[in-house]
Amino acid sequence: MKQTLVYGQQSCRLQLEGLPDVSAGQAGDALGIITSWTLVWAGRPELEGRREHLVALINVVLPYARYLMSGVARPFGEPDQPIEIAPAGPGDHLLRLRSSESGVEPLEVHLDDAELADLVRVLDALRLDPRLHLQPPLSEPLVQPLRRRELLQAEPLARRLAAPVGGLAAVALTAGLSALAPLPAPVPSRTATPASPAPSAPAGLPPQRTAMPQPPLGLDAAKPAPGTPTSATPSGLPLTAPGPASPPSGLTPASQGPKTSSAADRLAPAGGPSALPDAPIPPPRTLFPPTPPPVPAARP
Amino acid sequence: MSQALSPSTPSRPLSRRGIERLDLMLLCTEALDFNGGEAMVWMSQHLGYGELFPNRVELWKRRCHNPLRRACRRGSLDSTETDALIRILCTMADRLYPMLRGLLSTAEAPEVIDQRWQLFQSRLADLLRERMNPRRSSVQTLLDSQTGHRQRRAMVQTLALGAGPGGFERLRACLMDGGA
Repeated sequence: MKQTLVYGQQSCRLQLEGLPDVSAGQAGDALGIITSWTLVWAGRPELEGRREHLVALINVVLPYARYLMSGVARPFGEPDQPIEIAPAGPGDHLLRLRSSESGVEPLEVHLDDAELADLVRVLDALRLDPRLHLQPPLSEPLVQPLRRRELLQAEPLARRLAAPVGGLAAVALTAGLSALAPLPAPVPSRTATPASPAPSAPAGLPPQRTAMPQPPLGLDAAKPAPGTPTSATPSGLPLTAPGPASPPSGLTPASQGPKTSSAADRLAPAGGPSALPDAPIPPPRTLFPPTPPPVPAARP
Repeated sequence: MSQALSPSTPSRPLSRRGIERLDLMLLCTEALDFNGGEAMVWMSQHLGYGELFPNRVELWKRRCHNPLRRACRRGSLDSTETDALIRILCTMADRLYPMLRGLLSTAEAPEVIDQRWQLFQSRLADLLRERMNPRRSSVQTLLDSQTGHRQRRAMVQTLALGAGPGGFERLRACLMDGGA
């Protein structure tokens, strides 16, 4: 009635001894009760144990192999458990077995990749053997895809930090280079906004230059003298011809040089500043710049 | 004779990364076995996937979903096709297990082991140059004799641990890593 099941590979052989559970109606060639098991390694001490030790071996080695396939080498098993496995270097794995008897030092077995694969195949053959009818059955090892976090932990810290550190360095370098580059010259606004009446500039300051020509201050400015050459930019901004008497702002002061009909006069509303000398009428606030009226003929 | 899938792992299609790893491991079995292509067709018939892969062209078309291929096909494989390919890979790895073990073992002289790795690397490089896009960095890394050794060893180790019927669940879960 005694049954013996043997699972062998090149470097190890697992022998299982037991009996069929007749009370459960098992056939004579089945094995329902494990009495002992023996794991024989080539050139290593022989391991023996009871059913709980075999269950612990399966629960530790198969998940370890599963993680190893994903490139995650992490230890399995707790110090209070009979079997523990941990990576011990490239291609080296340390299997630590603790005896249930007190005073016995744990046995350490170093396995290379080939021996670990042999052990995994032996345990797989045992787990999937249809002749084995254990009650309760052997626990199925949890086989699930690893999470992204677990995979990231397997990578070295330097490799994990390479991408974010490189990105930050690129951003800092670009910011530094752009700070060294000269600022572009300010471009005058091409859209004329309806200008509110210019605040009265303090004495001594040049008149404010706006996109919309403002009527010159003072009564004299409302009566330009003919003969002064004027030009206009595409945006309608009047520019005076450069001359020795021109101020740095480019605008002709009201009391200087030969008088001419300036654009300020042309754009002045009807009845302009000359009609109300004390309170100049502000230009209308329009959404679009008003169309300049036709240039009047220069007065003699 | 298609075997039932374990309920422990949900059956879902593989990601592009998973298909890439699956095809590269199939390529490793071809590097270890000169008749690997024929063996795969024979294996698919033996495992009951004759309707899914009636000839080697159909098998090749499924493998061409690997984004590293020279002639890469768009779209994705469904879970039935990927499970069949994984099952074929497990059976091929089981068939080639002595060679895989010989590559991973440290019990023999280092010169012998180095010679085996050189032969494997040379054959795999030939297959990679023939079928994969050499502009991809993964392919360039695998082709490099020094920097690609870690990846080649990882693939051989994965094949050894996934060989046989017990390795199917492990290998499928491994190819679905990262929420794939």
